[in-house]
Amino acid sequence: MIRLALRLTLAGGREAIGRLAIITVAVALGVGMLLAALAGINGVNAKNSRYAWLNSSLVTTSATGTADPTLWRISADYFDGRLIGRVDVAGTGPTSPVPPGMTRLPGPGEYYASPALAELLRTRPANQLADRYPGHLSGTVPAESLPAPNSLIIVVGYPADQLRDQPDVQPVRQLETVSPSNCNQCVVGLRSDAIDLTLGVVALAVLFPVLIFIGTASRLAAARREQRFAAMRLVGAVPRQVSTIATVDAMLSAVAGVALGFALFAVFRPLLARIPFTGEPFFPADLSLNVVGIVLVALGIPLGAAVAARLALRRVQITPLGVSRRVTPRPPRAYRLIPLLAGLAELANVRMTGPPPGSTRQLIVYLLGMTLVMVGLVVAGPWLTMVGARLLARRTRRPATLIAGRRLADNPKAGFRAVSGLVVALFVTSVAVGIITSIVDHRGNHGDEVSHPNAISTVFLQGNEAPDAAPKAGTDPVPPGLSDVPGVTAVVVVRQNPAWTPPGPVPQPEPAQVPHPEPVGLVSCAALAAHPEFGRCEPGAQVAGVDSVDLTYFTDRVAFTERALPSGTWPASSVPLAQLEQLPTVSIVVDTDGSTGAIEAARTKLELAYPGQRRNLPMGDVDKAADITSALVGWRQLANVAILTSLPIAGCGLAVSIVGGLSERRRPFSLLRLTGVPLATLRRVVLLESLVPLLTVAVLASVAGFVAAHLFLEAQMRYAVRPPGVGYYVLVLGGLVASVGIIWSTLPLLDRVSGPEVARNG
Amino acid sequence: MSGLIEAREIALSFGETPALRGASARIEAGEIVAVTGPSGSGKSTLLHCLAGILAPDSGEVWFGDTRVDTLREAARSALRRDRFGFVFQFGQLVPELTAEENVALPLLLGGTRREAALRHARVLFDRLDLGGLERRRSGELSGGQAQRVALARGLVGEPAVIFADEPTGALDSLAGEQVMDLLVEAARERGTTVVLVTHEPRVAAFAGREIILRDGKVTSPVPDRVPS
Repeated sequence: MIRLALRLTLAGGREAIGRLAIITVAVALGVGMLLAALAGINGVNAKNSRYAWLNSSLVTTSATGTADPTLWRISADYFDGRLIGRVDVAGTGPTSPVPPGMTRLPGPGEYYASPALAELLRTRPANQLADRYPGHLSGTVPAESLPAPNSLIIVVGYPADQLRDQPDVQPVRQLETVSPSNCNQCVVGLRSDAIDLTLGVVALAVLFPVLIFIGTASRLAAARREQRFAAMRLVGAVPRQVSTIATVDAMLSAVAGVALGFALFAVFRPLLARIPFTGEPFFPADLSLNVVGIVLVALGIPLGAAVAARLALRRVQITPLGVSRRVTPRPPRAYRLIPLLAGLAELANVRMTGPPPGSTRQLIVYLLGMTLVMVGLVVAGPWLTMVGARLLARRTRRPATLIAGRRLADNPKAGFRAVSGLVVALFVTSVAVGIITSIVDHRGNHGDEVSHPNAISTVFLQGNEAPDAAPKAGTDPVPPGLSDVPGVTAVVVVRQNPAWTPPGPVPQPEPAQVPHPEPVGLVSCAALAAHPEFGRCEPGAQVAGVDSVDLTYFTDRVAFTERALPSGTWPASSVPLAQLEQLPTVSIVVDTDGSTGAIEAARTKLELAYPGQRRNLPMGDVDKAADITSALVGWRQLANVAILTSLPIAGCGLAVSIVGGLSERRRPFSLLRLTGVPLATLRRVVLLESLVPLLTVAVLASVAGFVAAHLFLEAQMRYAVRPPGVGYYVLVLGGLVASVGIIWSTLPLLDRVSGPEVARNG
Repeated sequence: MSGLIEAREIALSFGETPALRGASARIEAGEIVAVTGPSGSGKSTLLHCLAGILAPDSGEVWFGDTRVDTLREAARSALRRDRFGFVFQFGQLVPELTAEENVALPLLLGGTRREAALRHARVLFDRLDLGGLERRRSGELSGGQAQRVALARGLVGEPAVIFADEPTGALDSLAGEQVMDLLVEAARERGTTVVLVTHEPRVAAFAGREIILRDGKVTSPVPDRVPS
């Protein structure tokens, strides 16, 4: 029987082979995306494990391990907006731990750099980068030690005696191997749970149109296959045999699709690895599949297809005389809106009560909500289509609109099925654009904070800690030559306010509740007058109090005064100017012309003047923005993948659905033509049959997308969704125009399949 | 004493529309019977009930000692496959299969090995003047050829009864006559019973007896006659 089924599946001529090919491609796309999602999650976890060793000095070290610890200090650094991980090391004996993949530690006067950093060291002027590191480049940080192929990591060797007494140096007896995901004290690494969550949502969003495409393709030539099954039943095939044939038919394309899907994954894996959805690309090998995933996909998809084929057969009764539906389809009812409303209610509930603790539970609640909304759109679609079609049929006087309206009202499910993929894709697009636009808007603009994009500052005070390793009081803290660096436009020193009280460990009242907290810093009004980009003093003042150590100020609040001041004006301080230079330094703020050369040369000067101070990292808005930008670039690319994948797949689904529909209805169309209905009218009928459900449900899908995005953002990040830019409207409008184009491109087929000979021959 | 096939007071409605209202008929082994009557009189429905394709709402259908209408679906399928043959107006060939595979299909479904089933089918190709068409698909056959292939398929299992529903309805008169000649000849040769639904007197004339239906009831059986 299986052999006969294979024969029937493969020997059906061009139409059968075409159908088989379309289903195979649809399944392959689905499998490829599923594998990409699984590999993406594995890749994130693998990448996070690569970060583990960088946390070796940050976790509480146990007494176990080697007797010859490596003296170890990790710090962050920046170059041109890119983060550099710097590890200063000194071995204390022959068994001192070495980073993964290295055979030995760099000796005093040597450093090893990652390939990407080595390239920068080679190509950029030494005063911008290489001068920061003592000694010379003598080796490469191997791939085993790199989280990403383009990671900037440097391991700098020191004599043990020199490093031992410096701040933040820890003896490391064994390397940390626990992934930052499972390590509470780890600082360096990814929030892999959040990325897994995002990947899960994106995978679902992309898979949904694929599943609809598979469903549409599977229904191709359904009438012909049912006719074949009926003929077989007539000559004695029992239902089980028909079921076997249908199952083999479904499994054959599923197996071929799975094989092609694995091949697609293998081919596109290097490209997938380049998508920096964690902020950095991946090593292709990290995007791996585990055995469980492979077995689940390789066996699960064909088995799922077999089960789906059997379920589809249970919905119809194939008799020797043809196919009769078990249940006469009733018109859809308004209760079809319930899943959609339930999905939105679920997301609203998460918004009201807050997301549950733990990424897994968050993943479940968001996936549940988004899935319900997507399923809800597909379930509600036929009802909305019917309402729209009835309205259209009632109001129109044009025959094409009347025919299309009546046909849609009679069978809204079939009408909506053709556009259901596009509707889901539109929802996906709206969610993705809504979330990404809002995150970019919120994070890209620091609220009401005025930023100095060209400035960097070395801060000798952070958080609740007292000034640490600051320049000595009474000395000029500005490194020699800093002001002379080409491109440096201003150097301003912020001194510590003697009246300022460091916050203690006991939680302090919020600034708003303290009417007159003393500002942390003081700055000379003469300096501010020379560099008004950092603000200005009140008239007549000599010293101003500043509450932000990098001279970033806020226009809508002045934390330490109740007096209303013009925007950008620091309040006067009672500390005399003469005393200012005797006070400890809080920060050195350097403004530049914005060129990479100026910023990096100034940073190098500051780092050399105050070396080894992890807390003193000279950085500015350009660096903070770069961190955010790299993450946003990753998210944006992920959203682009979701949009650019789901829309074309939905378009394919639409085309396949229309072609299939035309083929199945060749006889009625042919009879209509014989009775004198012009071809142009039939074309309008076909066009309207797709456009009415599309336009009716598209508005709802778009609104549902933005509501879902808003609820997600509010619940997870306390952001409100921002209105989309012009690009979104262009995308949606372009999508609709493309849909019309797809429908239009299928219309020549109408001419071919509705000729008079079709009416005669059936 | 029952005939080979017998319908006893069978009634069947499609929704609100009654198709048969207590129709009774008895067909003996080896008979060639034409079921005639005006459109909508229930001819095809009676044939479908006799063949076990449809189960009547009431009444009984017997094939020999087997009550057909109460059989389960699988048993009725097996009965159709093993004891009955079918020739319908159109739509009964599987388009994906070649002509010889279509003829062999009942045997394949019954578990006969492919080679044996095809060998058996090819014998009928010569017998029904279909030589050279073995490898053609149904779309490559003329209406008369397709109907002869269907007839070959109906005969391949050496059935006890052939049910033919308007077997010449889609053919011109010459091709129709050729098909009927072959059907009757093959049936007489093998002693096969033929139940033939038609509205054409010329086709009905091939039968030895007519059963006339009107409004879902058998009105009057025409006395036996010798086919022309």
